[in-house]
Amino acid sequence: MTNSMAEVVKSKVILVIGSNTTWNHPVFGSLMKRAVKHHGAKLIVCDPRRIELCDFAHIWLQQRNGSDVALLSGLQYIILHEGWENASYIRERCEGYEEYRKAIEFFTPEKVEELTGVKPADLRAAAELFARSGVGALYYCMGITQHSHGVDNVKACVNLQLITGNIGVEGGGVNPLRGQSNVQGACDMGGLPNVFTAYQPVTNPAAVEKFSKAWGAPLSAKPGMTLTEMIPAAGDKIRALYVLGENPMMSDPNLHHVEESLEKLDLLVVQDIFLTETARLADVVLPGVSFAEKTGTITNTERRVQLTWPALVPTGNVRQDYEIVADLAKRFGHDFPRTPEGLFEEMRRLTPSYAGMTYRRLERVGLQWPCPSEDHPGTKVLHCGKFARGLALLTPLSYRPPAEVPDGEFDMVLSTGRILQHYHTGSMTRRSSILNLIVAAGHVELHPEDARRAGIAADDRVVVVTRRGRIETRALVTQRVAPGSIFVPFHFAEAAANRLTNDALDPVAKIPEYKVCAARIERAGTAKA
Amino acid sequence: MNTKTRQALARIGSRYPSRRSALLPALDLLQREARGHIDHESLVEAARVAGVPLSEAYGVQTYYTMFRRQPVGRYHLQVDTNIPAMLAGADKIVSHLQKRLGIRPGERTEDGLFSLETVEDLAACGTCPVIQVGDRYYENMTPARVDKLLAALRKGKLPDLPAQAHFSSQCNILLARRGVERAFDIKVYRKHGGYGALPLALQKKPEEIVAAVKDANLRGRGGAGFPAGVKWGFLPKDGNKPVYLICNADEGEPGTFKDRQIMEHDPHLLIEGMTIAGYAIGARLGFIYIRGEFAWIADILERAIEQARQEKLLGENILGTSAHFDIVVHRGAGAYVCGEETALIESLEGKRGNPRLKPPFPAAVGLYGCPTIVNNVETLANVPYIVQHGAEAYKRIGTPNNFGPKIFGISGHVRRPGTYEYPLGTPLDELLRAAGGVVGRLKAVIVGGLSVPILTAKEARGLVMDYDSCLKAGTMLGSGGIMVMNQSVRIPRVALRAIEFYAHESCGQCTPCRQGSRVVAELLRRICERRGAAQDIERVLELCATIKGSTLCPTGDAFATPIEAMVKKFRPEFEALVR
Amino acid sequence: MKITIDGRSVDAQPGQTVLDAARAAGIWIPALCYHPKTGKAGRCRACVVEVEGQRGLKESCALPVREGMVVRTDTPRIHSVRRMIVELLLSEGHHNCISCQANGICELQDMAYHLGIDRPGLRIDSHPTPLDDSSPGILRESDKCIHCGRCVAACQNGVVNQVLAFAHRGSHARVVCDDDVPMGQSSCVQCGECVQVCPVGALTLKQPRERKIRPYEARPTKVTCPYCGVGCQIDLYTKDNRYAYAMAHEQDWQEQPNQGMLCVKGRFGLDFVDAPDRLRHPLVRKNGELVEASWDEALDRVAAGFKEIKEKHGPDAIGFLTSAKVTNEENYAFSRFARAVIGTNNIDHCARL
Repeated sequence: MTNSMAEVVKSKVILVIGSNTTWNHPVFGSLMKRAVKHHGAKLIVCDPRRIELCDFAHIWLQQRNGSDVALLSGLQYIILHEGWENASYIRERCEGYEEYRKAIEFFTPEKVEELTGVKPADLRAAAELFARSGVGALYYCMGITQHSHGVDNVKACVNLQLITGNIGVEGGGVNPLRGQSNVQGACDMGGLPNVFTAYQPVTNPAAVEKFSKAWGAPLSAKPGMTLTEMIPAAGDKIRALYVLGENPMMSDPNLHHVEESLEKLDLLVVQDIFLTETARLADVVLPGVSFAEKTGTITNTERRVQLTWPALVPTGNVRQDYEIVADLAKRFGHDFPRTPEGLFEEMRRLTPSYAGMTYRRLERVGLQWPCPSEDHPGTKVLHCGKFARGLALLTPLSYRPPAEVPDGEFDMVLSTGRILQHYHTGSMTRRSSILNLIVAAGHVELHPEDARRAGIAADDRVVVVTRRGRIETRALVTQRVAPGSIFVPFHFAEAAANRLTNDALDPVAKIPEYKVCAARIERAGTAKA
Repeated sequence: MNTKTRQALARIGSRYPSRRSALLPALDLLQREARGHIDHESLVEAARVAGVPLSEAYGVQTYYTMFRRQPVGRYHLQVDTNIPAMLAGADKIVSHLQKRLGIRPGERTEDGLFSLETVEDLAACGTCPVIQVGDRYYENMTPARVDKLLAALRKGKLPDLPAQAHFSSQCNILLARRGVERAFDIKVYRKHGGYGALPLALQKKPEEIVAAVKDANLRGRGGAGFPAGVKWGFLPKDGNKPVYLICNADEGEPGTFKDRQIMEHDPHLLIEGMTIAGYAIGARLGFIYIRGEFAWIADILERAIEQARQEKLLGENILGTSAHFDIVVHRGAGAYVCGEETALIESLEGKRGNPRLKPPFPAAVGLYGCPTIVNNVETLANVPYIVQHGAEAYKRIGTPNNFGPKIFGISGHVRRPGTYEYPLGTPLDELLRAAGGVVGRLKAVIVGGLSVPILTAKEARGLVMDYDSCLKAGTMLGSGGIMVMNQSVRIPRVALRAIEFYAHESCGQCTPCRQGSRVVAELLRRICERRGAAQDIERVLELCATIKGSTLCPTGDAFATPIEAMVKKFRPEFEALVR
Repeated sequence: MKITIDGRSVDAQPGQTVLDAARAAGIWIPALCYHPKTGKAGRCRACVVEVEGQRGLKESCALPVREGMVVRTDTPRIHSVRRMIVELLLSEGHHNCISCQANGICELQDMAYHLGIDRPGLRIDSHPTPLDDSSPGILRESDKCIHCGRCVAACQNGVVNQVLAFAHRGSHARVVCDDDVPMGQSSCVQCGECVQVCPVGALTLKQPRERKIRPYEARPTKVTCPYCGVGCQIDLYTKDNRYAYAMAHEQDWQEQPNQGMLCVKGRFGLDFVDAPDRLRHPLVRKNGELVEASWDEALDRVAAGFKEIKEKHGPDAIGFLTSAKVTNEENYAFSRFARAVIGTNNIDHCARL
């Protein structure tokens, strides 16, 4: 996030797109609802599903799945044509305006209606509310990114916030809500194929030299493969995989392929606290410890680095995760620090945005990066006054449809995601007694009209089929989804949504298109093979 | 739900600056549509119209006694059993109805035709006993009149059974047109000098009117006697928020039935007063918050307001000037506490009628968070006279610091219970004479509505009825609702009935009022039923002493003070019951 | 600024209430309805004080400090009001500390103890209200409710789930879910904020009750929630090295990312740490089966495997999936292992998934 969560009550207008916030980030969802209910913020929700936030929204735009570039650009078309943009901000802080402006001309309200299904009057009302209410924040989540054109979606968000002058101001910002406790930290720490910590590129010789010196080893300057590239390459370019606390056998697209790939590996090492679907395929399983048994730092969605302390002493013959890695490194002649604080101290010396953090400083309420020195208070709002690259780039965008759209055989649009009571691949939440009391099994959300047409009653067993696979699950008949759309949560191994999903990737971010593919739904027992 | 209802609901919503205010009217409308109660679906609909969560809509619905969860009979008979009614023999009416209908209060006849309920004060103290059927009051009820009523209802007809209301006016200001036929009509009002003050007011600067009202020392007639002009002066200068004027017409203090005389029989007097006040304080919108039981009076007011609009006396550019003012009639739904101004504001905002913590006071933060003035009906009805005749003329009425006319409502054991307009400072004896004199021997009198300390006959002798004299005599002028009790009255029973009323009406927010009223009621019930101990009398006194001044709003004092006075002044009667 | 409370000069900040200033100075003022997260309510009347030069009693929770103000919290009048409040609250309902899950952390119990009330003097017989145990995580005992309104304020205005409200009026008033349905059938999402703020035992968690753990036996540790990216700060309560229950960490709550709130997963979804199928020892595949192994055996096999593949196919034949669920330190170590020990940049995690 460019900004901080507490600022949401300072926004005059909030645009939420592709985020079912009250389910996926419930506590922040509460802050958002509070901003609307008690602080007078206006709320615009853009979502194909009628999510809970729609009840609080002043305007709800129900765009078709995968049409976000058109929707966001359509808003910008109206803003620019009405002269509601922040001209001085564009002049002083942005570049690329001319080309961008030309590209926007494609997105007339009529064109946008054709692509998104959103009526020009509604689009106009949203554009006016967003551009003319005062400082506006934009929040998005996987509904924006998990598309074969996810990068374009994000750029469309950035463009909107740039032309309205909402970046680098309190209560504004482009704010992706991170879905996992330390997904921000994993990125910050260089858990990506192209960068070291704090996004120092592996292709930068100075960075390579710095890390090579610190780590006492020569380093490759060639960017590595992404997860979504490594898995299909298993058994071919990739011969061994070391998986730490992840469960690609549930989380990755087109699971059938994932399983085939993992089985082709010469060596699969899984380090986890449970024998997950992935661990079951492993050659070696290394038992680590849970969040409640470790010391360390976690970086949240607003870049806040917080300490976590061990509440329990691990039992059994298990080891701290950093110890396991250090024990392995030792076998290669490398000495790793043997305490979390030791690792943190080594890391921060190599990581400019974390350089000013110490365990002592983090103790109370954490610190938000960048925090370059020990007297720096941390940073709540990014890009104030100046962008990292100097001027912000307005990117010209064109509309691209999703990789797979409904047709005669697969007539429904399937999207996947989370529900309030469960988390990711379910390895933690499905072992929680209360959460399983509330939601014990998976389901597919289906609109009453479609249910009626398919002869499906509420709670019927149904089969969802795509070109990749099929699952059997329970029908949840609800108006939350639009007619012609279905939604399957991906937490449930016995009805794993990712047996269905399309492994089409965004060409740049390599993110799979989880939010749109073509599917068909039938009552169980009547399904064709 | 039919389209007509939908349209009506939409219209309700558009009347208010905030949608939320539509909740009470929406619930009222849906209850009427459903013939007497609100089910889950109606509640969901009302919540949707008002834009509130279901939980809050339910909280509101169950707060107000007029909203019902269960179906009632086609004719729902509600008998007022509060103290003025009790003094007039309401118990006999209840038992007569029970006998005739074969049901007890809270029940419904098998054929679904009738249901019976005993209710708290209906502001018909001078014409008790009273039965409310639907939107109508049947007053001066006797067993014979009850039989006539039931016979007509069985035929499906709401009969006309005129009440006999006594009144007289010595000042000819507030009740000047009380006896005039069709005085509610704007033509009649004009013929009798009405709307003479408004054009004069519009020629003055607003601050001149405020000054005149201040100068006249018009004291609030709702009960507290706080000077209206001073209250108006508390409004923030140069604020950028709208200012609201609210007329408090939630007449509910037992013993009080004066405001309805003005609203029912002379509504334009109130409208003229409000319009002048609105102009003076810079309000463009005013509300009349009228208790829900006065449904037909609300209709009268709405018709009068419409007439005034037609004649450009309300709305945009009043009488061709640049002044704008309009009035919305907002009906309550059965809650005594809404007579307290912050509770009233909450209720008008579509919430439970819970008093707010003060400060801030409404003049700073009132309706929808905006500066707001709340004045009683009678207070506002004084304003045209002051404008038309000047503060000096006004101050020639009454006694120093207690100027102007006052409507005294006299109920209980007098020959001609009714409303009497006399100058402030009139001796009580004179008022009692006007009301035909005491029936039997005077034992005690409550002179300012139920919330003020009772006076023994001896204490009442020579009492002068104005704010300061009453205070000096150890009681309060309050609303001027005088309840007269003769030697037949047993004070412990009055005390029990009084505390039952307050316990029923407590909003329930704060501990001393919610639970204190309940415990005091329990103790007094034990005493009256001869199950009590001497210690219980002490406990009542202790509790009253501690409750006073400890509650969130004045309701705690409103019951602790009179109960304490009854026990202290008539202690032997209580002691006799615990021996 | 300075104010005087009970003859003591006390430091106060502008904007502070008398209650805050008194508490900061260690002066005991009971307050059953005020909670920092839900704010002033004026309902319980327990916090009333007297201010020199002002008539009557003032709610200290709503009373802003003013330079030089002289406050008394210990007059006979205040004492009698406080006693009355406790007596009245105990006069109805069923306040049974012996079996109450809130025993030891109950603010009403504390107040009665402070005032030396051994036996309430007033009792009104009332019929017990049935427990509402219809929801998975929360037990409601309305007989213990003291009408403080914290849960309602928290639900309506804090977490804005808008389920709890006061219904009815006077002494019949009570807290209901939606239009008075059991919590388990209501729109409640079980965030547990109501339990978090309840001063008594009217709203309690089922988890510790089922585990027979009294709150005062359990010990909190501040942890970061393992679920979404909000980074909620949780007090994880444990007893005898077992999970007990979870509450939001409320110290400096205004500066915490979750501002003292949790969701259903953070509140109730952490018991997986005690799941019986936790991995307790390394496993190595032998003859197609995963079997228990020593650490040395497991680690040697991994090291040997990596060495062999690196030699045969080069370092880029090895891939690493690090984790969005482990700490920064662990991610850093893992990244260093991939890049420096093995020599590949093939490292990624499930940020995209």
